This record gives sequence, structure tokens and C-alpha cells, in this order.
Amino acid sequence: MPFLHERLENGLDIVAETSAGSLSTSVGFFVRTGARDETDDVWGVSHFLEHMVFKGTPDLSADEINQAFDRLGASANAFTSEEDTVYYATVLPEQQDDVVELLARMMRPALRAQDFDTEKLVILEEIRMYDDQPPFGADDRCRAAFFGRHPLARSVLGTVASIQALPVEAMRHYHRRRYAPGTMVLAASGAVDFPALVSVARRLCGDWPAEPEGRGASAQAAVSPTAAAVERIVRPAAALEYVVRMSAGPGENHADRFAAKLLAVILGDGTGSRLYWALVDPGLAEQASCHHHDFLDAGLFATQLSCDAADAEELLARIVDLYATAVQEGITPEEFARARNKLASRVVLSGERPRRRLFDVGLEWSHCATYRTVRDNLRIVESLTLDDVHRVLAAWPLAGPAATVLAGPGGQAASDAAGGEA
Amino acid sequence: MKQSLFSATLDNGITLVGEELPDLESVAVAFHLPAGGVHDGASRCGLATLTGEMCLRGAGDRDSRRIVEDLESAGVQWSQAVSTSHMSFSGAMVSTQLPVALPIYADILRRPLLPEHELEQARQMLLQNLAGTEDDPPHRVMSALRQLHFPAPWGLPAEGLSADVERLTSADVRGFATRHLQPGGMIVSIAGRIDWPDFVRRIERHFGDWQPQAVPTVTTGPRGPRIRHVPHESQQTHIALAWSAPPYRDDESYDATAAVSILGGGSSSRLFTEVRERRGLCYSISAGYQTHRDFAIALCYAGTTAARSQETLDVMLAEIQRLPGSLSAAELDRVKARAKSGLVMQQESSAARAGSIARQWYHLGGMRTLAEELARYDRLSVASIEAWLAGHPPRDVSVVCLGPEPLEVPHAISA
Repeated sequence: MPFLHERLENGLDIVAETSAGSLSTSVGFFVRTGARDETDDVWGVSHFLEHMVFKGTPDLSADEINQAFDRLGASANAFTSEEDTVYYATVLPEQQDDVVELLARMMRPALRAQDFDTEKLVILEEIRMYDDQPPFGADDRCRAAFFGRHPLARSVLGTVASIQALPVEAMRHYHRRRYAPGTMVLAASGAVDFPALVSVARRLCGDWPAEPEGRGASAQAAVSPTAAAVERIVRPAAALEYVVRMSAGPGENHADRFAAKLLAVILGDGTGSRLYWALVDPGLAEQASCHHHDFLDAGLFATQLSCDAADAEELLARIVDLYATAVQEGITPEEFARARNKLASRVVLSGERPRRRLFDVGLEWSHCATYRTVRDNLRIVESLTLDDVHRVLAAWPLAGPAATVLAGPGGQAASDAAGGEA
Repeated sequence: MKQSLFSATLDNGITLVGEELPDLESVAVAFHLPAGGVHDGASRCGLATLTGEMCLRGAGDRDSRRIVEDLESAGVQWSQAVSTSHMSFSGAMVSTQLPVALPIYADILRRPLLPEHELEQARQMLLQNLAGTEDDPPHRVMSALRQLHFPAPWGLPAEGLSADVERLTSADVRGFATRHLQPGGMIVSIAGRIDWPDFVRRIERHFGDWQPQAVPTVTTGPRGPRIRHVPHESQQTHIALAWSAPPYRDDESYDATAAVSILGGGSSSRLFTEVRERRGLCYSISAGYQTHRDFAIALCYAGTTAARSQETLDVMLAEIQRLPGSLSAAELDRVKARAKSGLVMQQESSAARAGSIARQWYHLGGMRTLAEELARYDRLSVASIEAWLAGHPPRDVSVVCLGPEPLEVPHAISA
């Protein structure tokens, strides 16, 4: 799987992992901007802008963009996270030039006021949709509590109030600052014609002005709570209680990030993990899982639990006990070996899908300017040892200080018992 | 594109279907038994799902934990699911692990212990999942729609109904396993890096001496009312609509799915354009097609703020009514392009292909090559779809609204 890289004069990086046997071509623009790059007065602008990019350029209407993607048979979409905004499409190889041209033109959107006003309604619908479904905002609230004053505390969607107050001029300004070639990567995977990719990019992106704008130095605030903090969101009509708990873990810049992922598989994978056997298999909880998330300069272990409201606090205490036992008694060689095999198999199987590789290759380059093959990833997993996992257990306070948010009917009962104060 | 498709039938009625995808390192295998929710029986909704779960709680000389540990040690990404028509056990793995995985699946299917002391835990697991679906409005509204539109028991939720699941007994589970866990009508599908003759030999060794029984038939009952409001305290109202369409095995299903795709299949579809892009009424809107062997539905879904839900429903119904006589060649070209890409890209996933060839065998009694599928799309014309729509204009539409208030449904579309 040859890897190719070229940088245009204005700083736009173009990278591709090519595989001759592939039947499809995936391409994407990876923009190094997200919720962490926002301020209070533009909260939610990264995600709103991602929608607006599909609303047209000075010479393309929204309908023309939508029709073009469908006409190319493209499977196209976009997402926004705390650190990245990504636009991507998968097509048959013969459509590569056309889809790259379409995406490249979209990166310079018109941001028309009338489209902005209509799309604002869609964003507000999206906020209400997520607010109506599990975990009823507990994840965003928990991340806010966990990160405190750190920029990663900010939720991606924004709030109804911040979106309603956002003026179109603020979005135009944000776009000019953040969608500069030096903060973007054009990545491709699958059956890629790299010279053609570079040529289309040079024609359409070559004249984008290079505006050097780094990520602010604001990212240095302290991360993770020093004492346990618990918040509640009351949803009387919910059937289950949803609990999100976050404690500190290694970030992307830390050598132990891979061992942390293996530890999360051992403790809280969807099946076959300690949490699974203790809580899910006996039917005590609908879900009980632990995942490791890493950001550029911070990481966390997120525990998610959903169960009857009456059981939530007891089961959460049991999970923390289970973490404490792991810290004290360690992991057995058998469960370590099983989890490592499981992770290795995931690396191989997901590595077969070029459209999945696009995200690995694009985000890796966007964040670190490095490239790893599927084989490299497999070697990393296979080289992990039980000592690595025990080091993570000792270094990061899984059973220690954490931010916890419970959402569901339980808060009602708790506040009734406390005298009806809501 | 050259395709290597295989099939074989064992004496006891098991059908094996396979596709070789030589560029992959993985293999995906799935066992589909005709033991889905339609066989639950009266007041036992969820019995097939409970039985499927119990099969994983001990089989042969493995207990519940050993089954999972043995599969996961081999790096098998396993899953178990019960649909309306089938109970399925699947696994994707690096191809060298297949000989390790097959005997485990043979234990699960042929030698489940169905341990009585685990019944309560399995029941609680189902009830937890059902409670979780209560908090998932799109899931609830689609489930209610299927219950309204399909004749019983085809519309009942395979995941079960809480009141029924509460009452299921160990005897129910054993009875279901005895009647339905059997080789007759079973489809075993495999795709990826395979050695077909070796696979057939292994399946014969593990399953060849399994004695078949007659596949129980299902009596189809009446349909529900056409319109339903499900009260739900929420900011959004969820709208689901369905009308009848030809099943996949009918040649006309290609015309029907193309019409549905023009209505709501892509981001340039009519519903996406009119409801979301022009009016900003909602975030989620789509149309799709779901098929059983003997009947199918076209369906639409939208979730929107309660105050704007009547307008959303009105626009959706207007777009459905406007469909006959209004299709354009450009719209059809886009449908064909999307279908073609989708079919080709499926070839990159062993799990997707294993699922697809099993579905084809169930619905058609055979497999279609990619070239045949593509040719069927190429043959579609505006005239052929319009002819189908003229003969089958969308009517008798079932409508479910889940939200704080009921919505008005015009009599003409849902008589």
C-alpha cells in the first residue's frame, strides 16, 4: 500500500494511501478546526459552518451540490468534532476527478444570509433531536465538567441560545481564519490516481491565500477534576437512567495511548469485558462500557451506564469498585491475551475497508504529520505487554477523581426525597 | 467484474452460499435459521429473541463465558440477532481462524444447554433492551408503523413486548428450540478469503448428521388500523408513513425502489430538498424500502419540532401524492448511479457480501451476480417506473405520529 505526499506552495498537504485492488476511491478534506477553536460568541459555529458548506458556493447552488454528489453515485457526508471538521466522499475510481473538484470548490462556500437563516432552523432541530435522545445531554455536560476551563469543555453543537445569537458575518470571519490551506489536509485512500489528485488540487486550491493561523495557546488550562463532581439532569419521562463518568487518561501525545485502549477493551468492551460479565450479562444494566478517547493534548476514560434509575448509584459504585480491584489485583495474562487478539483482529478487519482507512490516514496526518500502515498498527498492538497495561492502571486514576453526570427519571426521586427542591 | 459465487445443498436441507473475495484477508460467516419472531406464538412476543440469547448461555461443554472467550480469543467479531423471519449467528475474522470458529457455532446451534438458572438473567437482558428502546423515539415510531401496516405476526417486534417477555418460561424456550433449531431451511453464508470445497467439507462434518424436521408454517392474521398517535413527552414529533410495495422477488420491486429513492433516497431527493433544504423543517428525513418474502413497504420518516410537525407531515404527503407522472430522467440517472456505486462498494466488505447473498437466497432461491443486478438497474426507465406508479399509486398510507399531540391526516390518502 504505497503512501504518497505532496505539499502545495500555499501549504495545503495532499496525502494518499493507494491500494491497487480497491474498487472505490475515498477522498476528504480534513480541516484542523472544531469546537475547541471557538469562543463564547461563536459557540457552535464549526458545526453550523459544516452544514453551510453544503449550501453552495458563489457559482453553485445547494441543489446543484446535492445533485452532483448523487449523480456521481457518491457516498458523501461530513462531521465536526472538538478538533476536526471533515468532508468526505467515496466514489467509483472513474469519478475521482469530479468528486475532488466538487469538494474543493465547496471549501470556499458562499455563506449566503438567506441560506444561513434557513439552515439555522435545521441546526436547532438537530440540537432538539439530540436533547430528546439518550443520554439526554449527559455526555456534553460531563465533558464540560471534566475539562472545566480547558477548550475541550465546549460542546460541538452549541446551544439553542448560542446558535440563535450567531450572526452570519461571524461565520464568514471564522471561515476566513480557519479554512486556510495550512490548517487543511486533502487525503485519499483506495484506488487513487495521485498525480490527478494533485493536479485537480493545484488547479482549485492553489490560489487559496496562505494565512498562517495556528491553534491558540489557550489549550494549556488544567485538565481533569481533582475531586469527584456529580451532576444530574432530570428527565421524568425517560425509561432508563443514563450515566456518563469521565476520568483522566493519556492523550494523543502520550506513548501509553495504545495500552490505554487495550485496557478499556479488557475492562469495558461491549462484550466479553469485566463490565459486561458483571452488569450486562446478568441483565442488571442495558449498557455498561468503558472507552478511551484521546485528543491532541488530553485524554480520558469514559464510562457509560444505562439501567433502572433505582439501581444507577449502586451499579456505578460497583463499577468504580471493579476499577479499584483492577488497580489492586491487576489483569490476568489470559484476559490480556484475549483482548490483544480482539484488538488485533479489529485492526486487520477495519484496515480492509478503504473508506475506513481514509479517516485513519487523514486524521493522523492532520494531527501529527505522520503515516502508519495497517501493518504498523498491528505491530503496535502485538508489541503491547501486560506491564504496559499495568502501568496505565497505576498512572491514571480510573477509580479516582472523576466527573459524573446522571440523566433520567432518577433525579426526580432524589430531589423529592431531599424535600422537593428541583 | 468477475465474481466467484458458490452454492451447495446438504441432504438435511442446509443451503450453503459463498463468495470468494480474494483481495481480503477476512472471512465473514453467518448461520440463518428460519426461526424469527413470526414463530413466537400468541402472547409470546420475544420468545425467539429469548431463545437466541439462551443459546449463547452454554452449549456443548462450554459455559456462557467460555463461548464468548473462545470466540474472542480467536479474534472473531461475533453477533447474534433475531429478525422477524430469522435467527442469525454471525462472525467476521481473519480467515485462518475459521476452523476454530465453526465448531463453536456448531455447539451453539446443535447443543445449546438452555440452562434454567440463567433464564432470569437472559429475560432481564431483554427487558433492559426493551426499556432502552422506550427512550429511542425513531425506533419506537418505526416499530409502531410496522405493527400497523403489516398483517400479524409480520409486524410484531422481534425484540419482544415487555408484558409477554415477563411471562415466558423455560418450557417455552425449550419448546421453541426443539421446534425451530433444526437444519431444514437453514442458510449458511460465507464471503471473503475462502476455500469453498474445504468450507463445504467442514460444514458437512459439523452439521451433516443433524436430522431435519418440517419447517413450521406461519398463519397470517389481520392488519391494524391505518392511523395512530403515540403520546410521548418530547420537544420533537416523529412521523412515520408506509404504503405497500412489491416484495424483492417481484421484478417490479426495482421500479418501486427507484420511485422511493427519487422520493427520499439521497441528498438530492424530493423529501430532503423540500422538507429540509427549502423549509428547514427537520434534521432527519428519509424514505426507504423494507421487504419480507411475501410483502414489502415503502416508508418515510421525519423528526421535527412539535409546532412544525403538521407542516412537515403535509409536505411529506404532498410529495408522495405528486410522485406519479412527475419523474424526470435526471432523477432516474442519479438513482442508477447511487445504486451502481452501492453494489460495487459492497464487494469490499466480507460481512456485507455474506449478508447479501444469504438474503438473495432466502428471497429468490438463488443468487444474482453483480452484472445481473446492474443490468436490472440499467433496464429501468422513466416509462417503466411511471407505468408501475400508475398501477400502484401510493394510497392506504399508514401514518404514525409519536409526540405530544396527534396530527391531522387527510382522509383521501389513508381511507
